[in-house]
Amino acid sequence: MIVGFLLYPLGYEALLATPAAPLAETFLPAITFMVVVLYMGLFAMSFDFVSGYTGYLSFGHAAFFGTGGYFVVLAANGQVPGIPGGTPFMITLLLGAVVAGLLALVIGSVSFRLTGVYFAMITLGFAQVIYELIRSWGYVSTNPTEGATVSGDALAIGVPFVDALSLDVGRLTGESVENLLGLGIDLSATVVSYYALGIVVVVCYFAMQRIIHSPFGRVMIAIRENEERARAVGYATYRFKLAAFAISGFFGAVAGGIFAAYSRSVAPDGTFYFLVTADALITTIVGGFGTLAGPVYGTLFTQGLEDVLSTESGGIATLLREELPASVLEADLFGISVELFVNTAVDGRAPLYLGIIFVLFVLFVPNGILGTLRDRLGGTVGKRLPDHLRRYLR
Amino acid sequence: MSLGPLAGTAAQVAPLVDPGALLATGGAVDGLQTATRVLAEGIGKGAVYFTIAVGLTLVFGLMGVLNFAHGAIAMVGAYLGGLVLVLLVGANTGTVATILVFFVALALVFAVTTAAGSAMEVTLIRPIYDRTPTYQILLTFGVSLIIEEVARIVLTLRGIQPNPQWQAPMGTAPDVLLGRTELLGVGVRRLYLFEVAIGAVVAVAVWAFLTKTLYGLYIRAGSEDTEMVQALGVDVRQAFTVVFGVGPGLAAVGGVLLMWDPIWGPSVLLSIDVLLYAFVVVIIGGLGSFTGTLVAAGIVGIADSVTTWLFTTGIVTFPGLSEVTIFLLLVVMLILRPQGLYGVEEVGGH
Repeated sequence: MIVGFLLYPLGYEALLATPAAPLAETFLPAITFMVVVLYMGLFAMSFDFVSGYTGYLSFGHAAFFGTGGYFVVLAANGQVPGIPGGTPFMITLLLGAVVAGLLALVIGSVSFRLTGVYFAMITLGFAQVIYELIRSWGYVSTNPTEGATVSGDALAIGVPFVDALSLDVGRLTGESVENLLGLGIDLSATVVSYYALGIVVVVCYFAMQRIIHSPFGRVMIAIRENEERARAVGYATYRFKLAAFAISGFFGAVAGGIFAAYSRSVAPDGTFYFLVTADALITTIVGGFGTLAGPVYGTLFTQGLEDVLSTESGGIATLLREELPASVLEADLFGISVELFVNTAVDGRAPLYLGIIFVLFVLFVPNGILGTLRDRLGGTVGKRLPDHLRRYLR
Repeated sequence: MSLGPLAGTAAQVAPLVDPGALLATGGAVDGLQTATRVLAEGIGKGAVYFTIAVGLTLVFGLMGVLNFAHGAIAMVGAYLGGLVLVLLVGANTGTVATILVFFVALALVFAVTTAAGSAMEVTLIRPIYDRTPTYQILLTFGVSLIIEEVARIVLTLRGIQPNPQWQAPMGTAPDVLLGRTELLGVGVRRLYLFEVAIGAVVAVAVWAFLTKTLYGLYIRAGSEDTEMVQALGVDVRQAFTVVFGVGPGLAAVGGVLLMWDPIWGPSVLLSIDVLLYAFVVVIIGGLGSFTGTLVAAGIVGIADSVTTWLFTTGIVTFPGLSEVTIFLLLVVMLILRPQGLYGVEEVGGH
C-alpha cells in the first residue's frame, strides 16, 4: 500500500502525458485530492483507533482535528503564550497533539462514565460546545467565524532546525524540487507536500499499528468484544479506554496539524464541525470498521469519487459536457435540459452518491472493504494474498 | 467529501426581544414584565422544540433506534409545507383561509412523510434490527445525507438557493400572526402563541395515541418487553412500521411549524439544526419518555430565551451563548443523570 502511494504521483504525471490523459484526468484522483486522502485518512484512522477498536463511537472527534489545526496556526502566528513565533512546525505539531491528548483526557474522563448511544451524544455535545466557542472567540482572528490564516512563512515538515532535511509544504508556498537526486524528475510543490505529509502519516500509522498489536491493544479489543468480562479478568477498563481515547485524540490532532500546514488556514466549519467527524465516520465504514488501514482505503475511495464528480481537475461532468453531442445535452428531461441536470445532479454532488454507497455498505458490507477482504482471505491481505495467488499460478 | 456548502449552520441568533421595546422601558426595566416576556418566549420555543423532538423519542422508546434522519425529514416537511402554501395562498387570500391552508399542508405533509417513514422502516431498518445500535445510527445518518443532497439538487434545479431561508412561504404568514398580543402586561408575539397552540395539539394527540388507542397500548407494552408482547400474539413488527412512520411524520409537522418562524425558516441547514436540538431535548428528557420530552422541551426553550435575552440586552456579549448553554445542559445532564429526567436506566446503554 505504501509503495502504491509512493509511486502514484509519478504514474499520474506520466499518464497525463499519454493519449489517455482525458480519461485519467476524469477517473483518477488528482494529486491535490491525494493530499486530502493523506490527512483525512490519518484523521479517519485516529477515529477508527478508538471507535473501531474499543467500540465507543467518538462522535465529537472533530474537536481533536480542530485543536491540532488551530494550535499549529496560532503557534505559527505567535499567538500561543510561551511559544515564540518562529518555532519549527514539527515542534508545534507535537505540542498541539499533546494538548489535544489532554483535551481527550478531560472529555473522556466524563464521557466514559457512559456507554453506547449516550457516549456518542456526549462527545458530540462537547465538540459542539467547542465549535460554538471557537466560532465566537475574537482572539483567534478578527473574524472568528471565518477562522485564522498563517501569516508568516511556509511550515516545514522534517527535522527541526536542519534546513536540508525539511520540506516546506503548501499548495502555493511549498517547495518544489527540480531534478530529484539527479534522476531528471521534477516535483511540483503539491507533490512535495504530498510526500512530506505522507511521511508523517506513515509514521503515525506505524505508531498506531504498534499500539494495537501490543498487549494494550489486545485489551482495547477485549473491551469492544465484552467489556464486563475484561473488567472481571482484572483490567481497569476505564483507564484503558481513557488512554486509548487520549492516543486517538493525539493522532487526530496530528492530522489536523498537517492539514493546517498544507492549507495554511483553519475555519471552524472545516475543522471543529460535526460534519468533519461524519467524513471520518463514512470513510471508516466504507474502508473497514476496526481495521487500522481500512479508513485510508475508505478515504481513497470517497476522495476518488469526489474527484470524479468535481470539476476542479476534470471530472465526469466535464467529460460528459465535452463528449456528449449537443443534441443530447439540449434534450428535454421533464422540462429540464440534460445539461442543466448534469450541472446540478452530477457536478460536485459527491455527498449524494457517497450517502447511497454508505447506506449500501452499512446494509450489505458492514465490515467495509478491508474487513470483508480479510474475512475472505482469512487473514491480513499482506500475509494471505500470496498463498491465494500461488494457488492460481499452479 | 467537501464541507463547503453544508457547513456553517447552527441557528442564527436573531434578536427575539424587540430592541425598541427594551429601550422604551429604559433603565428601569420592570423585572416582572421582563420575566414574563422571557418566560412566554421560552414556552413558545419549547413548543417548537417539543414538536421536533417528540417523534424522535417515540421511535427510540419502542424500537431503540436513534433516527439520525429525523432532522432531514423535518427539513423536507418545511419545504413541502412551504410548497403547498406558496401554491394555494395568493395575495388576496384571507387570514382564515391561509390558516386553513396551513392545516391542510400540515395534514398532507404528515400523511406523505408517515408513508415514507414506514417504507424506510420496511426496506432499510428491518434488516438490521439484530445488529448493534451503532449500525442503525450509521444507516439513518446515511439516509439523512441522501435526503439532504436530493433536496439540494431539486431546489437548485428549481432555481431556489438551498442554504438561505426560502422566503416565498415565509411571506405567506398572515399579518395577524406577525403582530403582538398584550398578555399579562407584555407584548408577546402571536406566532409564539400559535406555536404553543399547535405544540399543545401535537402533545395531546400523541398522548391520546399512546394511551387511548390499541396501537398505543402495543407501543407502550413493546417498549417494556418486546418478546412478551409477541408471545401474547401481537404483531410487533407492524407496530414498529407504524411508529417508524409516525415519528418522521411528527418531525415533518415540526418542520411545517418552523416554516413561518423567522429564526428557522425553510432551509437545507434545518436538517442538522433540528437534529441537534431534538437530540438535546430528547436526551435531557430521557430517551423514550414522552413526559420527559415535554418537560425537557420547556427547560431548553426557557434556557434558550433567557440566554438570548442576556445577549440582546448586552449583559453578555458572546453571540454563541444560547447554543453553548443548551449543549452544556446536555453535558451536565449526561454527567448527573445519564438516563435523563424521566428515562429508564437500561434504555440506550449497550
